[in-house]
Amino acid sequence: MSKPCLLFVDDEEELLNLYRSAFSREGYEVLTAADLASARDLLAGTEVAAVVLDIKLAEGSGLELLREIKAGRPHLPVVLSTAFARYQDDFSSWLADAYVVKSSDLAELKATVQRCLGPTP
Amino acid sequence: MAMRRGVPRLVPPRRAPGGGRSVPRSLRFGASRLLVALQRVSATLEQATDAEIAAWAALVGLTAGEGLGFNRAFLLLADGDQLTGWLAVGPRDRAEAAVVWADLRHRPADPFARLAAVDPAVIAAERARHAATLERLGFAGPEACNTAHRAFIGRSQHPNPCVRHWVAVLESEALAVFPMLEPGRVGGVVLADNFVTRAVVSPARLEAGATIVHALHGALERTRLLRRLQDEHRRRLVAEHSTALLEAARTLAHDVKNPLAVAGGVARELLSSPETYREVLPRQLGVIASAIGRAEHRLATLVEELASRTETVAAVPLDVGPVIGRVVDAFRPLAETGRVEVAVIRPPGPAVAIADPMLLERCVENLLGNCLQTLCETGTPEPAVRVAVVPGETHVAVEVANNGPPLPPALRDDPFAGGVTTHRAGSGLGLLSVRRLAESMGGHVICEDDPSGWVRFVLRLRRAP
Repeated sequence: MSKPCLLFVDDEEELLNLYRSAFSREGYEVLTAADLASARDLLAGTEVAAVVLDIKLAEGSGLELLREIKAGRPHLPVVLSTAFARYQDDFSSWLADAYVVKSSDLAELKATVQRCLGPTP
Repeated sequence: MAMRRGVPRLVPPRRAPGGGRSVPRSLRFGASRLLVALQRVSATLEQATDAEIAAWAALVGLTAGEGLGFNRAFLLLADGDQLTGWLAVGPRDRAEAAVVWADLRHRPADPFARLAAVDPAVIAAERARHAATLERLGFAGPEACNTAHRAFIGRSQHPNPCVRHWVAVLESEALAVFPMLEPGRVGGVVLADNFVTRAVVSPARLEAGATIVHALHGALERTRLLRRLQDEHRRRLVAEHSTALLEAARTLAHDVKNPLAVAGGVARELLSSPETYREVLPRQLGVIASAIGRAEHRLATLVEELASRTETVAAVPLDVGPVIGRVVDAFRPLAETGRVEVAVIRPPGPAVAIADPMLLERCVENLLGNCLQTLCETGTPEPAVRVAVVPGETHVAVEVANNGPPLPPALRDDPFAGGVTTHRAGSGLGLLSVRRLAESMGGHVICEDDPSGWVRFVLRLRRAP
């Protein structure tokens, strides 16, 4: 059985490295994208199981990608992971399957991803 | 009854309550006196920017011996679906009238002298004194009162239920009713009578009363409009501040929390599986140190920006004169309403300073608005404001001066410290805001005595090289 593939989109390179290390050790295949264009390319060419998406990116908004994903692949789980909790007030963010406020403790993010995917891989 | 200071002459005592002694001919009601009273009250009403001041002036005009000489007067205003008692002037009963009028005979004063600058405490005391009657005068369903378009005398058998209600509450034999009609409804009504002297209300006096009430109606409309504009301005500022704060919070979250999440997350990873990371430990420690360093640096920058607000200040070389001209033009209608003469003195050539046009406008708006409000509230005779642009060697000064009263003691030490206001409904933050805005542009603001006795605020901005 193949590992579920997670796509992390964040403009913080070291954060992507952290996600790669931490989620690989949890048994996931991890893809990372630092901008919207890279994320779109990966989504087009790979079968990802879930997307972990930052909202405030260096060039553009993660909410834009969220809308695209939900328009084309409504069943693909998307977890919004952002430093600013109040983005939850934005209607666009309500399309997401879950919303996690960034923390150095990845326990909540891991649990949320797992919940979105179903049983542990 | 405790006598109130500053209460105007309430009635022309043609005949003292209880009869007998007549008053001097000079105090009697006459056409010329009536005309003068109308002119003085109307002038106050035209300038009034406060509803209470306007209402007070009108009711004093109706009741003062030097005015129309009614014994008492009441103002009711429409409030939703009912007319509510709002303000009253005059004695509550015969005994009180005897005391008040006797007192006024011994302390003659011109009731119109400071109509526009009456102490708000005097109005509040008068309203409290009449609170019970004002409450009873209230009438639900003002549309029922919307039958008369002119002033009239109402009696106990009047067909209109409103009038019968008011006559009953006031136990009035002949009640002068002055409606304030608005499209489709009654906006308010003024009631007046001679319940002590029982003097007949002549058609001339009824007409004069209607003139005063008409002017009052206009003044109340204007004050409502001004209040709406002020509220709108306040809401806009609050919205601007909220947006700026929200943006600052977003930036703080993104720029500081992200690297901290990296540092903490990597540290947790190292702790959770030291063996896995043994070989890359130096690099991982480097990531942590770098992330913390970035967070520290960004936090320091943000703190500095927030403290000085320099990030939002686009200070550029700017010809100050046209900016000042725009602000003064925007305030001219308000100044004309208050009969305030506004003079602008600009140098023949450009006076270029380092300033943010929006912040400079806000500073001058604040100083000019402050001056106009002071002049209108204090009833300064021949009120005037002078706005001057004065270029210096190193600075360009913008002077805003007025001929109102000197600053009160509470403001004299540091008028820009904030927390003290001399205005009705003032926040006490206007001048503090001016100081902060001036400093954010690298300038400063002071208040100094003008040789002519005017109060002068001087905003100094750096002169552009």
